[in-house]
Amino acid sequence: MIQFWEEHKKKIIAVIAIAITAIALFAGGKNLNASALESVIGFVVTPFQDLTTGIGSWVENTAASAKDKSTLLEENAKLKEEVAKLQDENKRLEEYEKENETLSSLLKISQKYPEYKSTGTKIIAKNPGVWYNTFTINKGTGDNVSANMILIASGGVVGKILESGNNYSKAQSILDSRSAVPAMSLRTGDLGVVKGDYTLMNDGLCKMEYIDGEAQIAVGDEIVTSFLSDVYPEGLSIGKVVKIETDTNGLTKYAVIEPFVDLKHLDTLLVIDKNTLEEAP
Amino acid sequence: MRIIIATVIVLINFILQTTLFQHLAIQGVFPNTALIIVVSYALLRGSKEGCIIGICSGLLFDIFFGTTTGYYGLLFFIICFFTGKSQKNFYRENYLLPIIFCTMAAGTYETFQFVSELILRKNGNILFFIIKILLPTIVYTAIVTVPIYRILFGVNEWLELKEKYKYRLF
Repeated sequence: MIQFWEEHKKKIIAVIAIAITAIALFAGGKNLNASALESVIGFVVTPFQDLTTGIGSWVENTAASAKDKSTLLEENAKLKEEVAKLQDENKRLEEYEKENETLSSLLKISQKYPEYKSTGTKIIAKNPGVWYNTFTINKGTGDNVSANMILIASGGVVGKILESGNNYSKAQSILDSRSAVPAMSLRTGDLGVVKGDYTLMNDGLCKMEYIDGEAQIAVGDEIVTSFLSDVYPEGLSIGKVVKIETDTNGLTKYAVIEPFVDLKHLDTLLVIDKNTLEEAP
Repeated sequence: MRIIIATVIVLINFILQTTLFQHLAIQGVFPNTALIIVVSYALLRGSKEGCIIGICSGLLFDIFFGTTTGYYGLLFFIICFFTGKSQKNFYRENYLLPIIFCTMAAGTYETFQFVSELILRKNGNILFFIIKILLPTIVYTAIVTVPIYRILFGVNEWLELKEKYKYRLF
């Protein structure tokens, strides 16, 4: 046997090599099920493999978790913080949204003030006496303020400028009995004229006259300037209705208006120039 | 000298009346101090000088607060004219006289405004006018007249004393 091996050593090795190569070539690329022998080997080996791998991974995991515990805790705390922060922010944003909704609805209703060019100013003197309500402001033609510009304060119309000097202007408030502002009720669209009245002036109220007798105007309605005026731009809020009464002639009504602006205690105003519509930012 | 002092008094009063005195108003009523000064001046110096200072004072109001020039000027002029006419008939040292005249002038002034308001704007409420405007103004004017008249009287005395020596009148 050994002699045979010795004699045909090269031939036998060559045959085996060719055979292996042939098998490899033959079986290569084919998805073959494991042969019986392989299966047996697998059946014996895999559980151990499984076990060792299990043990290995367990050891590894434990070691790793022990190592990561502190970082995980840290991370957890950080995340919790972030969640709290986000929740808070979310709540705030929700509130903002609500506020935004109400404000924009308000804007839609009352103050569709287009952006006019405005100048801040101060009242420097008031007309003495109980009859009229005119005052002087400290801006004049030198500051591009001229007659028939509108004065507003936070809330609504204050009056208009009668006359402008170089560094002062004479202004008339809507409570003055000589002033007349074409106005309308925002809810019903009833037209009228807001006039001053010296009997109401001292209480800071004014009167809306010439309202149609059948108008649906009610107490609490908002009054804004109407489109009929060539001095006052449309849609500036004036005040709200406090009282409605029928005139003595029975055909028209008048309403007592409470201006949004506290005209009795007023010192800072805005002059708006209705000819200069400022581009929205 | 007299002109300068009269101008200064009118201007100071105008500034104070339109700014500071507004806060002293009771229910919106404060006596028209310009009217008191003008009437006192007319009582002290006679119709002619009273009319001039009255017109100037009134025009100042017209310029700053009126819608038509001349309304206050004319009103002050008329009041001063009639007050000044009676200057010769009274002793000006008496305090009762300026008080009576100033209240009468204030009453006339308010009534004039009420009537013009009634005629021009059909805006008259006589009960409101008498109770809320006329009576408080008259009472308040009577009180305020005393110090103002005292000051003007003192100034006038001082000026007349100076003029007496300057022009050797007596």
